[in-house]
Amino acid sequence: MTDGELLIRIGAGDHAAFEELHARYARAVLGLALRRLGDRGRAEDATQEVFAAVWRSAKSYDQRRGAGSSWLFAVARNAIVDGFRRRPEPAAEPPDSPSAEAGPPEQTEAGWVAWRVHRALETLPDHERPVIELAYWSGLSQSEISEFLQIPLGTVKTRTRSALARLADVLEGELR
Amino acid sequence: MSVLPPDFDELLDAEELDPEERARLERVHALLVEAGPPPDLSPRLNARPVVPARRGAIPLPRRRRGAVLLVAAAFALALFGAGWLGGAHSRSTHVVRTIAMAGPGGARASLDLLDADRAGNWPMVMRISGLASLPEGETYTLWLTKSGKLEASCGTFTVGAGTTTVDLNAPYRLKEYDGWVVVRSGLTAPLLTTTST
Repeated sequence: MTDGELLIRIGAGDHAAFEELHARYARAVLGLALRRLGDRGRAEDATQEVFAAVWRSAKSYDQRRGAGSSWLFAVARNAIVDGFRRRPEPAAEPPDSPSAEAGPPEQTEAGWVAWRVHRALETLPDHERPVIELAYWSGLSQSEISEFLQIPLGTVKTRTRSALARLADVLEGELR
Repeated sequence: MSVLPPDFDELLDAEELDPEERARLERVHALLVEAGPPPDLSPRLNARPVVPARRGAIPLPRRRRGAVLLVAAAFALALFGAGWLGGAHSRSTHVVRTIAMAGPGGARASLDLLDADRAGNWPMVMRISGLASLPEGETYTLWLTKSGKLEASCGTFTVGAGTTTVDLNAPYRLKEYDGWVVVRSGLTAPLLTTTST
């Protein structure tokens, strides 16, 4: 079932569809909140607020106007920004020099890429996802992954290739 | 701590790929590097989501709020007292098992599992050395793993210079897991892994 179809069901009050959407997007939403808020506790609160906002506003989703993922991204971003405004960060000394961090447009673009990639990761089978996560974000070599997961090195490489191909299929829209 | 992205050609037998497929997978590789790691979900977010009420919450009449708060405070105080009395006298110091952990750069930890309490909680004492001190607000997390995946969080901690000792707790059936790792909270890269039990 597509994300858009899930949203239509959620709009009609379907709890199971809401749980499925949460499973697909919880990490993507938390990642977006962490990027914006920088604090784990506040980001977790914001993530729960995002899903509450999705539940409340899913009726307004119109499949003809775009994909479910884009609609969710907009709802998530707005809910996170709203929460940020309601609970501003503690006052801090202003920095002496301009920040080297990306500005809002760049942050939005980076957030969108991470959103799509993190959502796509959720589509990987359980035996492929750890191989990708360990290879890209743990600093382990293929041999170390083989040792850590207790599978042959050849299997690590096969699963990596299969997972990358699967991610390419899911992300094809963005790659074009 | 940033992790260098993997070399595409070392990830898979790239020479076997036709040019078109190679280009396609390399674009995914670049996106994974750009996106960075997805955060791990805490037990709170990993749980079945609570379906919020679509209508607004019903506010209590103002005159009842004070009474409700007083009852809640008394209840919390009673629970705290019961927990303190029960906990202070029942904590075991008997070490059931010691787990040794190690990581890059000489980081080390030992994890003493104490007798489980009657509710099934495993109190633990962890001694850590060699992990970097983190910026304020950031923490490390001890996880139980299963088939190479982070499965159950056993608590967060920070470290200082020398050896840091922290009390943690694993409210799980330990036989269902196959290892322990320490990661920086929110990330998946293991910084300490089990070396012996």
